[in-house]
Amino acid sequence: MSFQAKFVSLWRTLFRRDRLEGELDDELQAYVDLLTRQKIRAGLAPEAARRSALVETGGVEQVKERVREARTGAWVDQVLRDVRIGLRMLRRAPAFASVAIFTLALGIGANTAIFSVVYGVLLRPAPFADLDRLVMVWETDRHSSTTREPASVPDYLDFSARATRFEKLAALAAGEVNLTPADGDPVRLVAMNVTHELLPMVGISPIVGRTFSEQEDVRRGPSVLLISESLWGRLLNRDPAIVGRTLRLDEKPYTVVGIVPDEADFGVLQVLSAAAYSRGFADRSEHTRVDVWTPLQPDPESLPRDTHPIFVLGRLARGASPGSAQEEMAAIAADLERTYASNDGRGVFVEPLTDVVFGPVRPALFVLLGAVGLVLLVASVNVTNLLLARGTTRFREVAIRTALGASAGRLARQFLVESLVLTLVAASAGMGLAFVGLKGLLAIAPADVPRLSLVSIDIRVLGATLGVSLLIGVVFGMLPTLQARRVDLQTALKSGGGLLLSAGPGRSRLRPALVIAELALAVILVVGAGLLIKSFWQLRQVDPGFRPAGVLKAEYQLPPGRYPADFAVWPNFKEIHAFTLALLHRAGALPGVESVAIAGNHPLDQGFTNSFVVVGREAEAKTWPEISVRRVTAGYFRTVGLGLVRGRLLQDSDATSAPAVLLVNEAAARLFFSGREPLGAQISFWGAARTIVGVVANERFHGLAAASPPGVYVPLAQAPSANGAGVLLVRTSRDPVLLSAPIRAAVRELDPGLAVFGVEPLEETVSRSVSERRFTMLLLGLFAALALVLAATGIHGVLSYAVAQRTREIGVRVALGARPWRVVRLVLMEGLVLAVAGLVIGLAGAFALTRLLASLLYGTTPTDPVTFIGVTLFLMVVALAATCIPARHATRVDPVVALRTE
Amino acid sequence: MAPIRADSRTDLLRGTLDLLILQTLELQPLHGLGVAERIRQVTRGTFFVPAGSLFPALHRLEQQGWIRGEWAASDENRRIKAYGLTQAGRRQLVAEKRNWTRIVTAMTQVLESR
Repeated sequence: MSFQAKFVSLWRTLFRRDRLEGELDDELQAYVDLLTRQKIRAGLAPEAARRSALVETGGVEQVKERVREARTGAWVDQVLRDVRIGLRMLRRAPAFASVAIFTLALGIGANTAIFSVVYGVLLRPAPFADLDRLVMVWETDRHSSTTREPASVPDYLDFSARATRFEKLAALAAGEVNLTPADGDPVRLVAMNVTHELLPMVGISPIVGRTFSEQEDVRRGPSVLLISESLWGRLLNRDPAIVGRTLRLDEKPYTVVGIVPDEADFGVLQVLSAAAYSRGFADRSEHTRVDVWTPLQPDPESLPRDTHPIFVLGRLARGASPGSAQEEMAAIAADLERTYASNDGRGVFVEPLTDVVFGPVRPALFVLLGAVGLVLLVASVNVTNLLLARGTTRFREVAIRTALGASAGRLARQFLVESLVLTLVAASAGMGLAFVGLKGLLAIAPADVPRLSLVSIDIRVLGATLGVSLLIGVVFGMLPTLQARRVDLQTALKSGGGLLLSAGPGRSRLRPALVIAELALAVILVVGAGLLIKSFWQLRQVDPGFRPAGVLKAEYQLPPGRYPADFAVWPNFKEIHAFTLALLHRAGALPGVESVAIAGNHPLDQGFTNSFVVVGREAEAKTWPEISVRRVTAGYFRTVGLGLVRGRLLQDSDATSAPAVLLVNEAAARLFFSGREPLGAQISFWGAARTIVGVVANERFHGLAAASPPGVYVPLAQAPSANGAGVLLVRTSRDPVLLSAPIRAAVRELDPGLAVFGVEPLEETVSRSVSERRFTMLLLGLFAALALVLAATGIHGVLSYAVAQRTREIGVRVALGARPWRVVRLVLMEGLVLAVAGLVIGLAGAFALTRLLASLLYGTTPTDPVTFIGVTLFLMVVALAATCIPARHATRVDPVVALRTE
Repeated sequence: MAPIRADSRTDLLRGTLDLLILQTLELQPLHGLGVAERIRQVTRGTFFVPAGSLFPALHRLEQQGWIRGEWAASDENRRIKAYGLTQAGRRQLVAEKRNWTRIVTAMTQVLESR
């Protein structure tokens, strides 16, 4: 048939159907009439002739159905018809339709939202070529057994010169600068100092301008600058003419040479977060995107081999594996260790960049994806149950249509289309939910999840959702067909429709089995959520060693121009000390302030560590880990509520010119002075011996989940920060938020050129430090609740159905004098059987699966008996509650009515 | 012998129903019952085409453009739809006949070979 003919007949089939149908009708009528007449002529009585003709024709409707099936385009036509029928069916059963659609929409929506996050963060291809060839080259320290330390500049230069397994090596260091705009307050920016190789090596090309040249990346090279796309938009209105102009950073002019696209974030924050120290802005509570890039201009003289401020990244040579690079680098490191005393104990750890960036979030995201998948499964099982319940009521419909000539295939297709209509309506509602849900999700998501800003519901996510929905639709669509197979036409037509339900023994077992499955899945989710909730609770119970309530934190950075840090006069940095004293004085005088302190790091900032010796025990120090050095003013202990254990605290009199003193924390006292007297001993680092005058409690400055590392507290006056960074901490009897504005004003009055940032109650800082755990816990809890509600409706549905089924039996029992509680017990027992079966299977599943949560737990094990028992009790209560309504219905059965309905 | 239902459900005759109808319509246009009657007469009752197979086949052939249905008045002045061969239908008939002859020849060769 020509294309044209095909098209014409398709067109006729689809759009001239009424006429076609009418003609077919006439044609068949004529056929029957002619046949009848023929039979009359052959001698039959008119009545008998007509009956015989009809029998011979074999059912006009059936013939019509077969003609329709034979037409071109019949398929399209019938699908459209099925879609209309499907929509009509849904409209006719609004309760069923809305429950099924809502349930599925929840499942699909939650999945879409979570999948979009997982896709955007983990699966979406990065805009970098051969991302898997990028590696971090960490230094390691055998003595402190740390594996992820930054490198020294001379080490980096040696690595670059000698390594052959790398196409290229590059380095970066994190910093913070103040930008002084032409008008308005100074802004603090996150700065990244990079070698000229870094951006091209990663595969970042600027939107406008160029990256750094080799000539710019030398000691005392020119002050050039790349700015980020977001800063360009935020402060410069995306003016392309900015390239070539000058910006003032820390009050020094820099020439802008290019603009770096925002999507070029290869995980700087995650790299810094993974490091043992020199973590830059990784511990800042806000603003974690790189704003400006400057050339690193490596200078081995000002940054010698025992200083470790830079991060080395490499691109593996083609064909080289991280393992082979590790081998080579280990050999180079061993060689350096033999040559330089400063490299004692130092090795190298080559780690794929993707592991560094995604490693920390991968477990949580996959757990969430798995959990939300289970929710969809529960939702699907629930809808399956609804469909089965409805399928039983549709037996008569099926029987009638079969009798009218619908072929089995025809019916199967109609059911399929119907269920696809249902799932697609649910899917579109689900996508709506997903858009809203994702917004909420991103609002509460922790800021340190990489690439979160790139997460959106895009075409691929929608495609995945559509695929899953179609799959569900197809499975659902096959259910009634499988059910219909068992329909015996005769019985179905004769019976009233409802009673047949109990006919198939297999069928009556299927629905309870589904409820058990649902319950088991819900149990797994609830156990998982329970473990996370317990972990979170345990974490919040942890004594951090300080009292965050009532403390406000504000951070600032002094520009080196006006606050010089001249190491020739260390630690006598006059301008810096003067500023510190003046700020303490001003802040302390604000109304409501109880105490103030300035520190190098806030209590949840890991800060940095240093190697040290105890005077007189130098030999032992070789195998000791480094010690955290906390620089604080005397008011620190009172302000953050850190307790004294022995000796005395630091005092204002421990000034720059006074004898050098320090405090050790309990962890340091235990580790380095077990069985000895720490007080009076001397600790030496940075070329000065300092006398221990006190022991303080442990402060969890590595986060609530990590034990306190050994640390010392030195007076800020005796060990000022060389980079001008400072944290002001203020304890107040009022709401700390109220102090934000006065504190900002106080700093501005002292120095209008300073940017103040990170102003927030310390409690918020603490709360944010556990935000990833909270996020995971909240979501898993939400999913578990969802699954539980669905499972409970499942139990309720099946039992209600069972009660309705047994109305007659219950009626007889009541008529024979059964007490209401016996009837209740009957229903309760059924519910109990379902609940116990679901629980047992679910607990076994949870037992097998919760180990996947291990890395997300704190202070509890994946098989924590308390959680398991708690969940068991909780689930029993929920199951009983779901059983109660049908049980009550059962007691209200009126025997007279029940017996009469039969 | 019982008549063979020339039915698309009968494996043996699948595909031959179209040929039977085309051949029947070669001489003159006929309505549905006429086609069935004619086939029965010609085969002396061996082939019987039930309505459930006849009408789908007629409609399919019409859509293919091999036959065309025209509404006309019958002898008894009833509106009936009579089908006649089109030019394409004639060509198709020639082709199907040739094909059928080949099949029959081949089958005969197989069955009579020893």
